[in-house]
Amino acid sequence: MSDPTAATGGTASVPSGGPRPRYKRKLSNYLLDKKLQLRYVLLVTILSGMIAGALGYLIYQQKRAASESIEKDLQALTQADSSQEDFQEHVASGLQSEDRALVYKMVGVGIGLVVILSLYLLIMTHKVAGPLYKVSMYFDRMAVGRLGVVTPLRQGDMLQDFYLTFHEMHDAVRERAKQDAQALEDALGALRDAKNQADYRGEKQAELDEALAELDKHLAERKKQLA
Amino acid sequence: MTSPAPQKAYKRSWKNLLINKRYQLQFTLFMVGLSTVLMAGLGIWVMKVANETTTVSMASVRGTPCPKIPALTDPSDELPPVPMRLPGEDEPTPAPAAGSADAAGSADAAGSADAAGSGSARSADAGSAATDEEPPRKIKVQIEESTMEMTPTAPKVPEDFASKVVGHWTCEMKLAGKIAKLEHGRALILWVLIGTGLLLVIGLAVYGIKMTHKVAGPLFKVSLYLAKMKDGRFDKVWNLRKGDQLVDFYDHFKTAHAGVVQMQKDDIVKIKGVIAAAEAAGAGEHATVVELRELLARKEKSIE
Repeated sequence: MSDPTAATGGTASVPSGGPRPRYKRKLSNYLLDKKLQLRYVLLVTILSGMIAGALGYLIYQQKRAASESIEKDLQALTQADSSQEDFQEHVASGLQSEDRALVYKMVGVGIGLVVILSLYLLIMTHKVAGPLYKVSMYFDRMAVGRLGVVTPLRQGDMLQDFYLTFHEMHDAVRERAKQDAQALEDALGALRDAKNQADYRGEKQAELDEALAELDKHLAERKKQLA
Repeated sequence: MTSPAPQKAYKRSWKNLLINKRYQLQFTLFMVGLSTVLMAGLGIWVMKVANETTTVSMASVRGTPCPKIPALTDPSDELPPVPMRLPGEDEPTPAPAAGSADAAGSADAAGSADAAGSGSARSADAGSAATDEEPPRKIKVQIEESTMEMTPTAPKVPEDFASKVVGHWTCEMKLAGKIAKLEHGRALILWVLIGTGLLLVIGLAVYGIKMTHKVAGPLFKVSLYLAKMKDGRFDKVWNLRKGDQLVDFYDHFKTAHAGVVQMQKDDIVKIKGVIAAAEAAGAGEHATVVELRELLARKEKSIE
């Protein structure tokens, strides 16, 4: 899978305050996970191409046999009459062009089959690769400690169950992180109050001050990550 | 100290192929359905062309002329023709054929029959002519008993009769063979079509399930870890099985998991620092510090 954050250009990670514009699928974005998607597409395409080729060969053979039989019979019928040679040639060339047209038709149908199957598989795999891409994007944010808001999948996407599991996990981790941050903030306030009221010794008080200042800084950073 | 037992290589089981039924069946059935529709359309067209071609070829073969079997000739056919009317009184009676009594008999019979017919015609003519001369009279026919001697005659067989019969039937059989071959070709196309159609459907179904399993497997594994993370447990993440897909996706998950673990570790370091400083300052028994210890214990447990 390609790097999802690189593709978004960093803009997708910044939550905007306004209403989110409705996402539209772009043709250029259909190959999100080349390795996964092309594997399916190529295998099915090759398989259907082979089947269409074999069927095409059989039908061409049958058609060619019929044409040859007609040509042979016509030759036998017009053998005695030299004036019929032109007619015979005309019929033979007509049959050959018919055979050629059949080959073109079969090639067209084969290509159509391959194109339809490829496009279909591309769309189907995209519906799988899309959610995976989105989840990967959130994973990358989580990796740097950013636990922002998770938006739902697009309509028609697959792996909805998996995404729901991820969503629940993300929300739970985010909620717990928020609670922890709140608990630490409360502790920070309580200890500062206690420090002011109690008669702590000078050097140790400075150490406590330093630790509380670090915790304060840490909490500020955490709050930014949870925003 | 005992060394840990080598991890048993995981073997995929056919029973476990359908991990994520909704995704796997949706993907596979759609793929199979579409292929079936396409194959059916292609098959109908192919069979239409095949039937047309076969019919044309068979008509062409049926129209091929074969040498005919010569007819056996009867020597009596070579006899001179029997006159169609009886000779007049003043005409001489034709001599009976010298060939055979049968021929003579038939000639006589024909002659007498003809004579009867022509006789009546003649009598009509004569009647009209003789109305002036004499009154019309009735024809008197007298049948006499007679014998007829018949001698069987062997038909005349031409010299090349046998070769012509052989030639005719060889040709007929060749044509029948050609027609059978054409019919066989048509049937072959039909069976190949049915066979490849079934093969495609079954193959795609098996392939679809297997391939989606390789995607559903890692997703299932990630889902288990996600459920643990939801409950606040950040266990060690193990690698995927050999042959699984979504390796890159799994790497993303592992970094996310590591990121969350790092968050817990950072919290632990800060909390430990505050607890240590508070204890040193003599506030170890403060209710807030006690709460911080509980929080620390929970966080440490979560990354075990």
